[in-house]
Amino acid sequence: MIVEGKLFPLDRANVDTDQIIPTRYLGAVDAQGLGAYCFGGLPGVDALYAAHPDATVVVARENFGAGSSREHAVWALQSRGFKAVIAPSFARIFEENAYNNGFVLATVPGDAIERVFAAPFARIDIVNESIALQSGAPISFTLDPLRKEFLLGGGFLRYMASQIETVRAWEASARG
Amino acid sequence: MAQTLFEKVWNAHLIRELPGLNALIFIDRAVLYELLGPPAIELIEGDFEGALYDAARVIAVNDHVAPAKDTSTAQLALQLRTWAKKRGVRLYDVGNNGICHVLVPERGHVMPGSTLVCSDSHTCTIGAFASCAFGVGSTALAGALLSSAVVVARPKVMRITVRGRLQNDATAKDLALAVVAQLGFKGATGYVLEYAGDGIAALSMDERMTLCNMAIEAGATTGMCPVDETTIAYLRGREFAPRADEFERAAAHWRNFVADEDATYDAELHIDAASLVPTVTWGTNPGESSPLSGNVPADADAAALEYMGLEPGVKLRDIELDQAFIGSCTNARIGDLRAAAAVLVGRKVRIPTIVTPGSISVKRQAEAEGLHDVFQDAGALWTHSSCGACPGLSTGVLAPQMRCISSSNRNFPGRMGTGGRVHLASPVVVAASAVMGRIASPDELESLVTA
Repeated sequence: MIVEGKLFPLDRANVDTDQIIPTRYLGAVDAQGLGAYCFGGLPGVDALYAAHPDATVVVARENFGAGSSREHAVWALQSRGFKAVIAPSFARIFEENAYNNGFVLATVPGDAIERVFAAPFARIDIVNESIALQSGAPISFTLDPLRKEFLLGGGFLRYMASQIETVRAWEASARG
Repeated sequence: MAQTLFEKVWNAHLIRELPGLNALIFIDRAVLYELLGPPAIELIEGDFEGALYDAARVIAVNDHVAPAKDTSTAQLALQLRTWAKKRGVRLYDVGNNGICHVLVPERGHVMPGSTLVCSDSHTCTIGAFASCAFGVGSTALAGALLSSAVVVARPKVMRITVRGRLQNDATAKDLALAVVAQLGFKGATGYVLEYAGDGIAALSMDERMTLCNMAIEAGATTGMCPVDETTIAYLRGREFAPRADEFERAAAHWRNFVADEDATYDAELHIDAASLVPTVTWGTNPGESSPLSGNVPADADAAALEYMGLEPGVKLRDIELDQAFIGSCTNARIGDLRAAAAVLVGRKVRIPTIVTPGSISVKRQAEAEGLHDVFQDAGALWTHSSCGACPGLSTGVLAPQMRCISSSNRNFPGRMGTGGRVHLASPVVVAASAVMGRIASPDELESLVTA
């Protein structure tokens, strides 16, 4: 699985879920229509969209997706046409939501993120956990092995459904 | 081997370990509400014939915009209501509802040592009851409805030891803000915060919930307080808590949910409660705060200050306000309303002030004590219970550049309305600020002649 595209440089830390999709759009707009409001709470985003009209891979600073549990943040990014986010760190719930929707996140720390910010384009190889930029050595990143399965297989809920009998058996023995 | 409180709850719910640090964890209770519940409902109704593992483990609440304010919120509430009836799920609806994190404990739907998930990041509030309670997305919630389990990467555990007593108008909110400021907005990502020490034992359950509520604001999976007699006394007699002898047996079991003495932690933080002072945020995340008597720091984040319309060095006490809000899952329980009312009694507010109780039970208790008269005599608006102004959806939405002091938990750009500016503080600071029309502490009111 390869995800590639021009980069959308979001040179800010703590881009929270309210900035990715403001609360007033939750439930008011279909998931497929959320893209029109993606980053709708981020000051100055219009200029960024104008400068990078066909970018599909977000590169951002630390703690991307902080705050609310709204899965709409992932749906808004997907609906806008974004395919991945590269950042030094992600908030827990946002990260889980991304994996559960087959949306790619690559955690790239320190100096390497500066290289991504300087690049116009990134090619993310999920299977090999590696990012190629236009020049220089590839950047490796690590995916959680189970979440990677969900990402590649796209079947989080099917997996959960497959666990029901295991859960019932556990409950019967552990809770008697 | 000595165990942390978190490990005790984790081990009691561990179904099996999975690749990486992941585990399949049994979930005792799933909670959903009208704003973020419907996507989970659609997933299980659409692909799994609506099958629930156990409807009795599920609680549904219309809380975020209840009653609905427009067609789309009415549709969401209707969807939750219709589904709950069809699937036999207990529903707390308009007239008998409250913010889910306030309502779940007060009705006795949480037990110490249990696990709970909800499609809301402030689910960590309920960790005050020595439960492992955390927010998940709609798909993970659908998984929990389907299988009564979640896949979760095992977090590390940080012990936060609080010594001493809060004093001089410092509250549990100031303690929560101090924790977030010390750890930073992302500093606890990947951790569970386990509270300990005599400073925690001295807190009421309302205060412990305020503290645990803001664990997510440091990125933590959840916050947890150990069980003690305060926990047990709170749960005794609650509507869905065990009864009579059954309660005593349950309580004996609950008393196990404390950390073992020699348990080891991945990280430690120590806080002296007696050193804390009333605190207010000046920035755009809850970690950006200063003592109320201080200034906006010289090295404050420029983008945050631009959004907030502030400059480095500005005295917080000089910041004029357009609105005050007392409410939210952080600070809308009866203890919060009593404290705010004590500041407002015999005084008048200078700016529009909205007081939104956290649940219908809190509202009725407040009214039985006459607190609603105190608020209304002061010129504040006393509303029905809901999430209210906090998520910027109803009853107090801000206009661009409008400045609000709020007892809630998030000051993100646009949180309470596009372009709106939010300063987080305790209910007593919000009340004092409402009287002064600027950021103010309760002790400043002492020199005023009462109305």
